[in-house]
Amino acid sequence: MENGINTYVNKVGHSYKTRLRGINKYGLMLAFISICLVLSFITPRFLTIQNLMIIVTQVSINALLAFGVTFVIITGGIDLSIGSMVAVAGVVAATFAHPDTYPVVVPVAIGLLAGLLFGAFNGLVITRSKVPPFIVTLGTMTIGRGLALILSKGRPVSNLSDSFNFIGGGKILGVPTLIIILIVAFFICSVILHKTVIGRYMYAVGGNEQAARASGIQLSTVKMIVYTLCGGLAALAGILLTSRITTGQPNAGTGFELDAIAAAIIGGTSTSGGTGTMTGTLIGALLIGVISNGLDLLNVTSYYQQVVMGTIIIGAVVLDSVNRPGTE
Amino acid sequence: MRPIYLNLIIASLFSATLLMGCNQAATNEKGQDGEKKLVVGVTMLSMQNEFIVNVHDEMAKKAEAAGVELITVDAERSALKQVEQVESFIAQNVDAIIMNPCEVEASSPAVTKALAAKIPIINVNSETSIKPSAFVGSDDVESARIAMKFIADKLGGKGNVLMIHGYMGQAAQIKREQGAREVLKQYPGLKLLAHQTGEWDRAKGMSLMENWIQSYGSQINAVFAHNDEMGLGAVKALTDAGLKAKVIVVSIDAIPDALQAVKKGTLDATVFQNAEQQGSKAIETAIKAANGQAYDKQTLIPFQLVTKENVAKFLK
Repeated sequence: MENGINTYVNKVGHSYKTRLRGINKYGLMLAFISICLVLSFITPRFLTIQNLMIIVTQVSINALLAFGVTFVIITGGIDLSIGSMVAVAGVVAATFAHPDTYPVVVPVAIGLLAGLLFGAFNGLVITRSKVPPFIVTLGTMTIGRGLALILSKGRPVSNLSDSFNFIGGGKILGVPTLIIILIVAFFICSVILHKTVIGRYMYAVGGNEQAARASGIQLSTVKMIVYTLCGGLAALAGILLTSRITTGQPNAGTGFELDAIAAAIIGGTSTSGGTGTMTGTLIGALLIGVISNGLDLLNVTSYYQQVVMGTIIIGAVVLDSVNRPGTE
Repeated sequence: MRPIYLNLIIASLFSATLLMGCNQAATNEKGQDGEKKLVVGVTMLSMQNEFIVNVHDEMAKKAEAAGVELITVDAERSALKQVEQVESFIAQNVDAIIMNPCEVEASSPAVTKALAAKIPIINVNSETSIKPSAFVGSDDVESARIAMKFIADKLGGKGNVLMIHGYMGQAAQIKREQGAREVLKQYPGLKLLAHQTGEWDRAKGMSLMENWIQSYGSQINAVFAHNDEMGLGAVKALTDAGLKAKVIVVSIDAIPDALQAVKKGTLDATVFQNAEQQGSKAIETAIKAANGQAYDKQTLIPFQLVTKENVAKFLK
């Protein structure tokens, strides 16, 4: 969970703050483990391999979106259009995924391409204009929803081939494909963020844009890459969702952006940019999944589930603001 | 340099939309000048919902055949927006209004306003607390009764049932729950193991079912979902867990996917709500009301249970 580069506008040395930061770093893990422990004491059905696999499967789509949005938030931006991109990519992929038409590579490739283009469009508008990402992606969120409805004529695109439905709904050696894809995506995203130059640039841009520019980093290139990447991951999530529920739905993914942003924030990504890790985001997404699964197992009504979830999000942000140096 | 570029693009985009707008306005006027065409304003709950789109498509077809001009707007599930849309219909002085209400209470002011302006207003598919000029639709309570009755018959009046709700608090959810509970009361042998919302969504219904399978496993005998999307999600989860053969799943709406599933035998039954008839009766009533002819204050379109035996009739 190291950042690799420390991009705080650093006031050096406050030891109590480092201690608190330490709590944050391990606190999330601690909170996660203790919630799991509590749940496994209350209900014996929680801690079974089968149930854990179900949790990870259910979490995977939100986690993929959260990975994408983590990149964006680290650079100090935000992407509200991911839920709509899920719908666009899902509908586009489904259109090419009817049985006996194209090989399964085609719908996947075209769906991904749609997401990458959509993400690149976000990046283009954000870098070429001075409009804040919040507003640009608020706009493209609506545009995307409209596109999905236009492409599908407002109706779900059904009758998909078995090979397409296997991508998000099948199992390899007893392990659901979604889990395998999640692990691979997590690995790749972690490497991009923590081991590459472009990853370090993302932290630099989010930590201090002026300083990053002064040190010769091409801000617009970094941002273009980040939004395109986010679009690609959203498209992947959309294709997997479509495959899992065996239909491309124009209203799929509504509100997904909020869950994904919540996962990133719970995982310690600061909305002011410059901090965050993929591991944190993954645990954030898992935490959301574990809570909703656990509360379902205990048959708690969804009203309470929402209250619990909201409390956790605020708790995470409060912890984050306590930890940010130089706020006084 | 760049801002100028951008400004140019934006400016051209704006003028393009403006031009398109003008075009539309022009044709509208022509239509009205040419002949005395009836104009009906239509506001629909959500054009993202397949059933609602079907109701609307039938209206549009019938309207075109009758030479009536339809102005359709999408309320996007917002009652506030819907009331504003009806206000604008009143301002345009349309001959009749068809409203597919978003909410029972919150959409009611639209009815009051239309009636005050002496424009007939017809509610289609769902109700408002204030009585409109006419209502065309089906009784949601009945659909759930039919579905739950089917479960009771299949299980011989004994077994464990799960219920997946729609969005909590919406009229359709409240009524479908009411109907289901009425039947449950008649069969003391039927036990409601758990009930939870799936928000009308297939993926959510599927996740919920997966979690329930962990909780209740082989105890589950039947599932009633408030709509087909969630029902199909439950079917998928049960199939993946190898439990489908032992569990009866019934849902409501008879969307094409659900009909296919009933045909394949994965979904045991769905309840057909006749979108076409709702649409065509609504427009018929609106035309009669606009022309000052006598019309039915209430047209109830009956539901039909769709099972493997009669599914062929519903597949187009």
